[in-house]
Amino acid sequence: MSSIKMGKAIQTSPVFEKKTIIGQRVTKPDAPDKASGRTVYINDMVLPRMLFGKILHCDRVHAKIISIDTSAAKALAGVHAVLTGYDIPELKFGPTRDNRTLKAGKVRCIRDEVAAVAAESEQIAAEAIGLIKVEYEDLPPVFSPTEALKQGAPVVHEDHPDNRSLSYEFSHGDVAAAEVNSDIVIEHEFEVPYVTHCCMGPGCVIADFETNGKLTMYSQTQYPYNYKMDLAPAVGIHPGDIRVIQPPVGGAFGSKLDVYPFEPICALLSKAVGRPVKLTFSREEEFINSPTRQPAEFKIRSGVNKDGTLTFRSVDCLMNNGAYTSWGPTTPVIQMRTFTGHFRVPVVEYKGLAAYTNSVYAGSFRGYGNVQATFVTASVMDMLAEAVGMDPIAFRLKNAQKPGEVTPQGSKLDDCKLRECIEIAAEKTDFLKKYKLYAQDRVNAGRIKHGIGIATSIHNAGGAKIHKSDGCGSILKLDDYARATLITGASEIGQGIDAVLSQIVMEELGIPMSDITIVNNDTALGPWDVGVHASRTTFVTGNSALRAAKAARKQILRAAARQSNVSAEQMDLREGHVVQADNGVSIIKLDKLLRQMHFAEEPELVMVSEYYEPDSELEDKNHVGNLSATWAHGAYVAEVEVDTETGEVKVVKMTAVQDVGRVINRLGIEGQMEGGISVSLGYALSEQLQIKDGKVLNPNFRDYKVPTAPETPEIELHFVESDCKASPLGCKGIAELPAIIPAPAIANAVYNAIGVRFFAPPLTPEKVARALHDQVPDNTQ
Amino acid sequence: MQLEIEIKFSLNGRMVQTKVPPTMTTLVMLRENFDLTGGKLACGEGECGACTVKIDDRTINSCLMFAVDCDGREVQTIEGLGGVAGLEIMQQAFVDHGAIQCGYCMPGMIMQARYVVDQNTDKSHQLSRDDIARGLEGNVCRCSGYTKVVDAVAAVILDEASA
Amino acid sequence: MINIENYHRPSSISEAVQLLQQGEATIVAGGTDLTPQIEAGARQFESTLINIQRVEEMRGISVTSGRYRIGGLTTVTDILESTTLAADIPVLVEAADHFASPQIRNAATLAGNLCNASPAGDMCIPLLLLDAQVELVSWIDESVSTRRLALCDFFIGPGKTVLQKNELLTAVEFKQPVAGFSASFQKSGPRPALEISTVAMGFAGVLEAGVLRGVRIAIGAVAPTPLRATATELVLEGRSLNESAIAQAVEAVQEEVKPIDDVRASAWYRTHLSGVYIRRALALFQGVTAHAA
Repeated sequence: MSSIKMGKAIQTSPVFEKKTIIGQRVTKPDAPDKASGRTVYINDMVLPRMLFGKILHCDRVHAKIISIDTSAAKALAGVHAVLTGYDIPELKFGPTRDNRTLKAGKVRCIRDEVAAVAAESEQIAAEAIGLIKVEYEDLPPVFSPTEALKQGAPVVHEDHPDNRSLSYEFSHGDVAAAEVNSDIVIEHEFEVPYVTHCCMGPGCVIADFETNGKLTMYSQTQYPYNYKMDLAPAVGIHPGDIRVIQPPVGGAFGSKLDVYPFEPICALLSKAVGRPVKLTFSREEEFINSPTRQPAEFKIRSGVNKDGTLTFRSVDCLMNNGAYTSWGPTTPVIQMRTFTGHFRVPVVEYKGLAAYTNSVYAGSFRGYGNVQATFVTASVMDMLAEAVGMDPIAFRLKNAQKPGEVTPQGSKLDDCKLRECIEIAAEKTDFLKKYKLYAQDRVNAGRIKHGIGIATSIHNAGGAKIHKSDGCGSILKLDDYARATLITGASEIGQGIDAVLSQIVMEELGIPMSDITIVNNDTALGPWDVGVHASRTTFVTGNSALRAAKAARKQILRAAARQSNVSAEQMDLREGHVVQADNGVSIIKLDKLLRQMHFAEEPELVMVSEYYEPDSELEDKNHVGNLSATWAHGAYVAEVEVDTETGEVKVVKMTAVQDVGRVINRLGIEGQMEGGISVSLGYALSEQLQIKDGKVLNPNFRDYKVPTAPETPEIELHFVESDCKASPLGCKGIAELPAIIPAPAIANAVYNAIGVRFFAPPLTPEKVARALHDQVPDNTQ
Repeated sequence: MQLEIEIKFSLNGRMVQTKVPPTMTTLVMLRENFDLTGGKLACGEGECGACTVKIDDRTINSCLMFAVDCDGREVQTIEGLGGVAGLEIMQQAFVDHGAIQCGYCMPGMIMQARYVVDQNTDKSHQLSRDDIARGLEGNVCRCSGYTKVVDAVAAVILDEASA
Repeated sequence: MINIENYHRPSSISEAVQLLQQGEATIVAGGTDLTPQIEAGARQFESTLINIQRVEEMRGISVTSGRYRIGGLTTVTDILESTTLAADIPVLVEAADHFASPQIRNAATLAGNLCNASPAGDMCIPLLLLDAQVELVSWIDESVSTRRLALCDFFIGPGKTVLQKNELLTAVEFKQPVAGFSASFQKSGPRPALEISTVAMGFAGVLEAGVLRGVRIAIGAVAPTPLRATATELVLEGRSLNESAIAQAVEAVQEEVKPIDDVRASAWYRTHLSGVYIRRALALFQGVTAHAA
């Protein structure tokens, strides 16, 4: 702040320069409490009169329930309720209504909930669970989707006698003709595993049924508004009678985008006992019962001409649906966009089918189907490049789309930065030099082999219209002290939207971050939003907040202009003052103006509400439509060392280049990218939920290996700022691509190092050692 | 009637007394008897470090240690690191470097980070990023990818070296 | 659920073993293995608990006339930070450095790691190389009775040892290795620690006039108990360290290990790694002894 003299006036007015907070490094408003241990997560919450719930999961994978004896559990001191599927009406829920809360009749997978207890302590609840006796009659199980689709296979759901769950088909152009006209055609099979989110806060819910029949859910959900809609049928009440409160959560990553049986079961327990009931998973329960990423088998045929032009791509995706349908088998909606639209492929075809089995079922997980698609396409791109004798960079550049192109499914690549991403990634890593050097070194002796690999992908970056609206509401109010409260539909799950929204309000209203409160944890207060998923939160809820902030700003400046000889257009808001835009001289302090507005003859509060709907389209029945308001590309380069004796792969460096539209919070975007890379590192090298005969073999952090600090590579980030026109803020969604692209970049780097191609992540030391032992590496390149 | 043992120890600098069953873990005692919910039960097997607290001059997984063994010792939890004075320098560094996302693992991570730095009494050897990462090998974080965590700890080391 | 009826906190070995003599009891100390086992239902508390954390005479590392003694309650961190061991027996420190995580090392006791008898127990490996003995104490005929047993005879199966219900493992002892003794420890996995070994291998020996003497090979996670690979030791004993000896050792060790397929690795990979590690151990040994010479 400085002062200048105003003409002949004696007093001086403060002067404020225009500053911007957008693109700066902003710390999260919730971080100090989290660092101090003060934050009360849902897992830490205790409500007065609260009881503790626990679920008896079956120990069978496919069996008839003959009898359930709960008498001993009911007789245990401290037990308030014991429920089974025979005590409650059959209420179906889930995206295809194939699941129910407590099972009756038969169980279909190891997760199946057969009874639930509410008791005075977790110990008593656990003891009561141990006293419940269930008699089963085993039925023949089926675990592989291929087997499940055969005639005569055991039937998982009687109303689906062929075990077929969801299916998808898309085609564009004549594949048979394209194949005939291709110089080279390659076909490969890939298989991607079950992996799980490993949220550090295990699954937890508190349900509180009030006497008037209304239900309050303290939930970890990522989609509070539609959660009401999905939960209601499972509990048998009207969605409008549900209030969702979202206390701080220990991670989500897509795992909390559906209703899972433990939540309505907790609600039913609360109803049965007339008290709040809390239900928390142990880590083992969390590993076994929480949704996974969708596992799948792919057959992919791709064609290319000798000059390196892609001719066609044909993909068959077979998914293990598991016993029930959550979002996992719907991920082809996003996955298909990559198969059909990543790089210019004139002729494409995609078929996806999910088959019911007696295995566990999958939900959504950061990347939503694109993790799987990108592992496949990025591997195949390298194989095709090699087949035509081109390097991975030139081959990709040859087939990269240009701005303005539209993919066969109608994804509009208006500001496509794929080419720039690839070029920057290649240049920053000295890719071609290392790539050739490492490939030549394969034939030499030496235990450690170095490799470099690139992968790219595309992802929705302006929301994803999978619901009738993909919008978000914002309510912004300012009080008499110029303190702002933004009530938003945006959910905070740790990703840092509170900081981003605060920045947007700061930028428009010229008030400090400490003067802004974000309210976003209660559906009774907040305006509707579709949920935190699909890399949409900064894009959609940010632009919603921007609209609200602009509306508030307009109202403030209009009021200021009424009592000044400066017009609203010539004013700006800076550091708590209304100023003249050209010279920054203060006209009036903002809080003073707000009080004047409030206490005027015609009182006026600054309190605005806005709804922002991104400019995107629902797919038509043929899967065509611009599903997202904008699309973003990324190119990631992995540099690895492979121990050819033990098979251990060490990722030394990851260079990430991504079109982010515009950086809003530099600190936040870096954190999202680094965190995403870590998740993908696990997918590439170590993570796999091992399921044998329907049972989870490694439900713990000992044997399910998430990356730790010593395995973390050096990370170099480059942001391409395309200043997205579809986004008033200029930003794009960013947080999924970092979890999508690194894994195939690592696999491609391993190929560069040792000449062995892996078709099934994770590339565990054993798998790599076995492959090196079994095959003679291809050293011809 | 559940057998309970009376114990007395220093908790975040104040003497406290409580009764615990002999099988109760330190984590459960801290959370239930003292409402210190900073440390989390995230795995219960010592595989994730979210429950890390300091006993005398060593950090341990409080989910594994029996509460009765706190008797006569000095226990420090995340709540006692900065205490009412505000954030301690390590906590502040985690905030400033953007290391905290969901934050669930952070009380344990910060306790361990403070320990790693304090353990290195050899001032001629400044901990490298690799040393820091190894010191944090028992703490799992699923959000941050660890880079900003190591940034924060490295910054504290630099700050304290120049102080 | 087990109701704990008796809880004891003895402060001496004598007191502890007298309590043990009174009937079945669960001994508790660091809790790092016990708590998860209880939680997982793999073990149950007896109704009597004996918490031995206050038995101070079971802590610490000492050397008396060339004999090393590590108290059973000594933590893995104590071993890791011991300047005596770092100078004299670095292989023990190396194994401690690869043990679990700092927080676990700070709590886990040596006796606990041995009595848990995991085939993958990291601390067993260097102790087997050192021909360590365990000291087992009980209360017999109104007095403290001590027996010593070679560590290699202590383990009888996964989670099973010869420890009697009335016995306490109070210390581990071993002699100062002979001059020229060189030992190494290797553990699989891309992580330095927080990893249950797929294979862990210890190798020790002396190079005397160009030939290998006193060869000791111990391997974790390849058999029901931590394995002393005596057949492979014999292959190398008295040999000069050339490619043919190395090749035969690789073959012998791959023959000698009896791993299983489990969630962590296949038998094939464990066998393969055993071969890789013996070759590396011998290369390391060659490097160290060449340097020393």
